Amino acid sequence: MTALAQDTAHPVLEARGVTMVFGGLTALNDVSLRLDRGKIVGLIGPNGAGKTTFFNCLTGLYTPTKGTVLLSGRRLAPDPSEVTIAGVARTFQNIRLFPNMTVLENVLVGRHCRMRQGPIASLLHGPSFRREENAAKQRSRELLAFVGLASAEDEIARNLPYGDQRRLEIARALATDPKVLLLDEPTAGMNPQETEAARQLIFAIRDTGVSVVVIEHDIKFIFGLCDSVSVLVQGELLVEGRPEVVRADPRVIEAYLGKPPEEIESETRGAAEQDKREKP
Amino acid sequence: MNMVSSVQTAKKLSGSLVPSPAAAKPLAVVGGVLAIVAALLPWVTFRFNDGPYPELATLQFFDAPLQVTGFRLHLLLFGVAAVAVALVPKVPGRGRVLRALGWGVFAVSLVTTVFIVGLGGGLGAATAADGASAFGGIVGVLAGLLLVLSAAATGVGEVPRWSTDVPKPVAWLALLLAFACVLYLVSLTLTAGGLGGASNPYAGPVFLAFLGMAGGLLGALNGVGLVKWISVLSERHRGFSIVVLLLCALALPLTEAGTDYWMTVATTIGVYAATAIGLNVVVGLAGLLDLGYVAFMGVGAFVGANLSGAAAAKLGITLPFPVAALVAAVIAGIIGAIVGSPTLRVRGDYLAIVTLAFGEIFTRSAQNDIGGLTGGPNAIPGIPAVSIGGTAFNQPLEVGGLELPGGVLYYFMIVLVVGAVMAIFANLKNSRIGRAWIAIREDEDAARAMGIKTGRAKILAFLTGATLAGLAGAIFAHKLGTASYDSFKFLESVTLLAAVILGGMGTIPGAVLGAALLFVLPEKLREFSDYRLLIFGLALVFIMRFRPQGLVPDRVRRAELAGETAEGKSIQQVEEALVAEQESVDHAPERDAKGDRS
Repeated sequence: MTALAQDTAHPVLEARGVTMVFGGLTALNDVSLRLDRGKIVGLIGPNGAGKTTFFNCLTGLYTPTKGTVLLSGRRLAPDPSEVTIAGVARTFQNIRLFPNMTVLENVLVGRHCRMRQGPIASLLHGPSFRREENAAKQRSRELLAFVGLASAEDEIARNLPYGDQRRLEIARALATDPKVLLLDEPTAGMNPQETEAARQLIFAIRDTGVSVVVIEHDIKFIFGLCDSVSVLVQGELLVEGRPEVVRADPRVIEAYLGKPPEEIESETRGAAEQDKREKP
Repeated sequence: MNMVSSVQTAKKLSGSLVPSPAAAKPLAVVGGVLAIVAALLPWVTFRFNDGPYPELATLQFFDAPLQVTGFRLHLLLFGVAAVAVALVPKVPGRGRVLRALGWGVFAVSLVTTVFIVGLGGGLGAATAADGASAFGGIVGVLAGLLLVLSAAATGVGEVPRWSTDVPKPVAWLALLLAFACVLYLVSLTLTAGGLGGASNPYAGPVFLAFLGMAGGLLGALNGVGLVKWISVLSERHRGFSIVVLLLCALALPLTEAGTDYWMTVATTIGVYAATAIGLNVVVGLAGLLDLGYVAFMGVGAFVGANLSGAAAAKLGITLPFPVAALVAAVIAGIIGAIVGSPTLRVRGDYLAIVTLAFGEIFTRSAQNDIGGLTGGPNAIPGIPAVSIGGTAFNQPLEVGGLELPGGVLYYFMIVLVVGAVMAIFANLKNSRIGRAWIAIREDEDAARAMGIKTGRAKILAFLTGATLAGLAGAIFAHKLGTASYDSFKFLESVTLLAAVILGGMGTIPGAVLGAALLFVLPEKLREFSDYRLLIFGLALVFIMRFRPQGLVPDRVRRAELAGETAEGKSIQQVEEALVAEQESVDHAPERDAKGDRS
């Protein structure tokens, strides 16, 4: 959180001309993205548009063929653990918790990169070890309370209901003290009440000073949440801008929805659901 | 309600085999009485030969009921207990107790009968032949099955919980008693059947029957809730428990097991237990399947041997034992880290093959005496015994009129080492590093996304495991007096892995128990050396089939493999509750079609 004070000249996260080629397939072509401090940016696009690939490039899981990713103006090394240590945390499209650890332990693993105990301290369990361990536990419990899982800390992660697993993944990501949080379809498979709760949670996260990038299929959700929306179609950035601008852009409507403007309002919901049903 | 639902569960599982709950009590009484009858019936139709076991097992040389000893005594007591449990109202966990007693009676009878049939030359030995009849074994097996059936009819519910809000003195006394009983049971188990060998063909069956009894007894105690109560208490009074447990372990030489031979066996178990705990770091915590692990123990043994001042050692350096052991551990650790680094790029099955290859390289190099450091097929013999102040560790000891058997100092040393290794394991497991290991085991990509440097963590796991194995190896070489490549073959790696999995992955008592079982069984089954591995393999298959989570499972492991939640509720109950909840949600009026929670 100390990083918040420094460096206001650069956007907190910036991708410049990211290109990703798998063999002969260009999954991403010259995609740029700018995330300013305290903002929420949405990333939408049809299935296979390259949204998750883009996330993987941002978080170092893939090394982009061309282009760079900058965090507060500093280049990010293409290595997942380095990226997380630098301050970019993520959740996964298909939930990837540590299924056989307890809820609290999952969040404690998120604290890993902010703790300093080495092997010797871990062996001896001295006073400073215990102080750090207790502090980590306390912070983890705060985060669990923040996402609304305070009462579940001793549950095995695998036994949590679906929506709670999504929230636990967010708490785990927040435990790394990120400057930027990348959420990959945080409301997939949720009912309207849960979706609304997720929206409130993301606003609350933004209010703590964390900037957020969200991939979503639920267009209504994205337009009600984000300060800026980028549309990705077949690996290319089609348009980016304020939600109401993007919403009215005829290219987006054509590429993404394939319908004339009068019908968007009524069809948007349907398209989002269509997408969801096609997901495994 | 709980009882009813579990009965239904049991019925679903085994179909029409399970009798109605009303039949539970008569079945249990009949089973118990039959077990008592079996204990008093003759078991063999002729006299085997002289010796305590067959003598008491035959018709004409058996003085019932006054001389009921050994397995007969166990059957008698189990029978009485079963009848008592069936008749006394409000026994907690009745189903579980009956089930444990039933399987105990069944195992004791079956082992003994199979042995009698096998050695007596046919079925006639255990039924009727030459005008004599002996149906003790068959009645015993039947009694066991009846008890198991009655348990199924009663229904096996949750393990009852006793209040653990007891005053400190009571808790301490209970723990003291419990650990003393454990010590007694361990010494009895070790000595059950005596030394295996040509002079004592009964060692194997007597020992196996004893294991059956011990398993039944522990199962019954667990069924009443006693084991859980003790374990919760010991968790709460952790420091006290550790001290008492350590004292109990050190007191083993004062029991029946206090002979040279059993001290050697116990020391060997300790060495393998320490190694198994080290392997548990690599396999149980970090999830890295290492099939060449025993090589690190070998490295420790050869380094220790070369620094011991043995005549066959090439180096000609003589270091005092603690220093030599430490050097051995450090070198093994370094080699562990070196071996670990190229395996970072491989996962799962591929890692297993790479480590397997490494183990093979080590054995072959040692066999061919590469570098002249291993003695090749001649091994490095004549490693001097460890000694402190002129007292060699393999000599008997006399302290203030108390005579202690030879090798007792080695035993004390290994107890302390195993204690230290346990502390290392427990501390690492409950730290940032231990959590990182477990996270890597669970999902390596997610672990990296959490900022864990997985490469570094994996190498640290290899290093830790190898260091512990190296230390154990140095002790092993000194205790044995030789270091030979023969002791560090692939089979040993597999046995160690089996010990970890059998005992329960990721737990300390599991690794110790697994190592004890796997290295005592061959010792006891010496007489059946032809069938030893067969019996051993069969036992492994059965245990893995009926208790996949291991003998002393991790809380989470149990949840994963035994269909129970962490609190010990059966998954079925939880699922039923979830379905009920789901249904009530489905009927809620504000339900939207979109909220399909599949």
